[in-house]
Amino acid sequence: MTIQMFEKPLGMRDDFPFIAKKKAELRSKGTSIMEKAGYDLLQTPTLEYYETIGKISAIADNALFKLLDSQGETLVLRPDMTSPIARVAASKLLKEKMPVRLAYYSNVFRAQKREGGRPAEFEQMGVELIGDDSLYADAEVIILASSILKELQVESVRIVIGHTQLLQLILKDFGLSDEQIDLVREALVSKNSVGFEQLALSLPIKEEALESFNRLITTSTLAEWKQWIDPSNTEQNELYEEMLKLHKIMDRNGLVDSVTFDLTFISHMTYYTGLVFEFYGAGSGFPLGNGGRYDGLMKQFNLQVGATGFGLRVDRLLEAMAPNREKELQTLVLFTEETEQEAHELAQELRSEGQRTTLQYAPAVQALDEFTALFSDVRRLDGGTNG
Amino acid sequence: MVELTIAMPKGRIFEEAYELLVKAGYDLPKELDDSRKLIVEAPNERFRFILAKPMDVPVYVEHGVADVGIAGKDVMLEHDRSVHELLDLGISSCYIATAGLPNTTMNEVTPRIATKYPEVASRFYRSKGEQVEIIELNGSIELAPMIGLADRIVDIVSTGKTLKENGLVEYEKIVDITSRLIANPVSYRLKQQRISEMVEKLRKQALK
Repeated sequence: MTIQMFEKPLGMRDDFPFIAKKKAELRSKGTSIMEKAGYDLLQTPTLEYYETIGKISAIADNALFKLLDSQGETLVLRPDMTSPIARVAASKLLKEKMPVRLAYYSNVFRAQKREGGRPAEFEQMGVELIGDDSLYADAEVIILASSILKELQVESVRIVIGHTQLLQLILKDFGLSDEQIDLVREALVSKNSVGFEQLALSLPIKEEALESFNRLITTSTLAEWKQWIDPSNTEQNELYEEMLKLHKIMDRNGLVDSVTFDLTFISHMTYYTGLVFEFYGAGSGFPLGNGGRYDGLMKQFNLQVGATGFGLRVDRLLEAMAPNREKELQTLVLFTEETEQEAHELAQELRSEGQRTTLQYAPAVQALDEFTALFSDVRRLDGGTNG
Repeated sequence: MVELTIAMPKGRIFEEAYELLVKAGYDLPKELDDSRKLIVEAPNERFRFILAKPMDVPVYVEHGVADVGIAGKDVMLEHDRSVHELLDLGISSCYIATAGLPNTTMNEVTPRIATKYPEVASRFYRSKGEQVEIIELNGSIELAPMIGLADRIVDIVSTGKTLKENGLVEYEKIVDITSRLIANPVSYRLKQQRISEMVEKLRKQALK
């Protein structure tokens, strides 16, 4: 295969100025909200060891970009931010400051195997709240993510909330083994209702319980969850009580109409062990972000603490955020050799007034009409006239 | 009522899918497929139909330019797309099978399989512990064993008539195929009410 000069590797994209500008706006809005909520921004390296971060992150092995260092160790381009931050948090430096609130805005890399439409490098922003296993930590991150979406004026925001652990307990009550539960979860990750119902028939579920089992996949309110909670099971009841509390907190924050409580919602990220959630909005055909509780991941770094967080996909937020309606003002000053001095002074004056001003030597422009059309205001010191 | 964009497969499955929607009580214009138009509106139901190649339906739905779609399970098995599979419509029933010339065995060294479904074929033979060479074709797969390109073919069988007419016999059935109602994960959440309603209406018809 000959590679043409203009080509980029599959899934790699250029950010043209208008995208870069929109991104910068998104970044400053997002990070300022996270910082105001007490989160500290941090940056982790682009390269990590495959043995640690590569394996711990929930990204499929064939989606990792791998390379070798000079010692022959396999490295990966970081595929997510949660595992590197967990690594940082587990270091001695931060261990003593628990609970610790960390935020990031970083690019991550995931190789794409198919056709275009999906970037292999994209930015994510999000937070990790490590060292707090209470419900209030989960509520805090959900509310924080919602406030970023609100600030970006994303329309029809929907937050879907599920609970991995509670689902696990309920599936056990149907008499399923761990292996069978894994099969069920596989069908649930892709919301494959057809596969789920077919699977139900092959599982040792009592006939009278089958209808109730099939109903699991369509829940959208907490009230519906109650039918599967075994009143004599303390663990289930405690978790359900927590969800009711979360519902109240969402209500107090005006979010309750945007929330769907879907008992069988499961993330494809396998490290989530408790509450999980995902964000959707009009304008993007893909979820805007997701998050959840990942206490299990911290254990892999020898830290017995609770942790929760969210990540938002910047590329999808760009599609969903409200367009910037204000047309940006930009002045062009055209000059010739004779008017150079005058033009410089004019430009400096305009700039000091806060106006974005471009200074251009007129004879160097090939297509003058097309070029001047790019500006909201044109000052001609080259002897020509506008239009 | 929010508008729903529906990706419909042109050709064989279309008729059955259209009929099912009408039976489910949707007020659709007559002869949707008649015109050469690629986008057809059904204003009474606030539907917009995209008429696509069957293989492309999941693509439109995955990217969210269509909220829901009707796609054959064969297509879903061949390309792993992130869409929600909501309902087995029970229409366009057929199956994928292996076939070849009668009384033949596969070449032991390099068995060759011709197919439109390389992923399905490869998965099937791997699960049997056989290493085969897959040759991808786009149509008239039956030709391959007849002219010695492949030992076996992996293809859709609905009546078995095409196989018979070309002197081929079926060897192994791989999987049953029907059409499914699929949804984009975001549309599924943002237009939940309309989509759930559609699932319920179609479910009643599909069960009959």
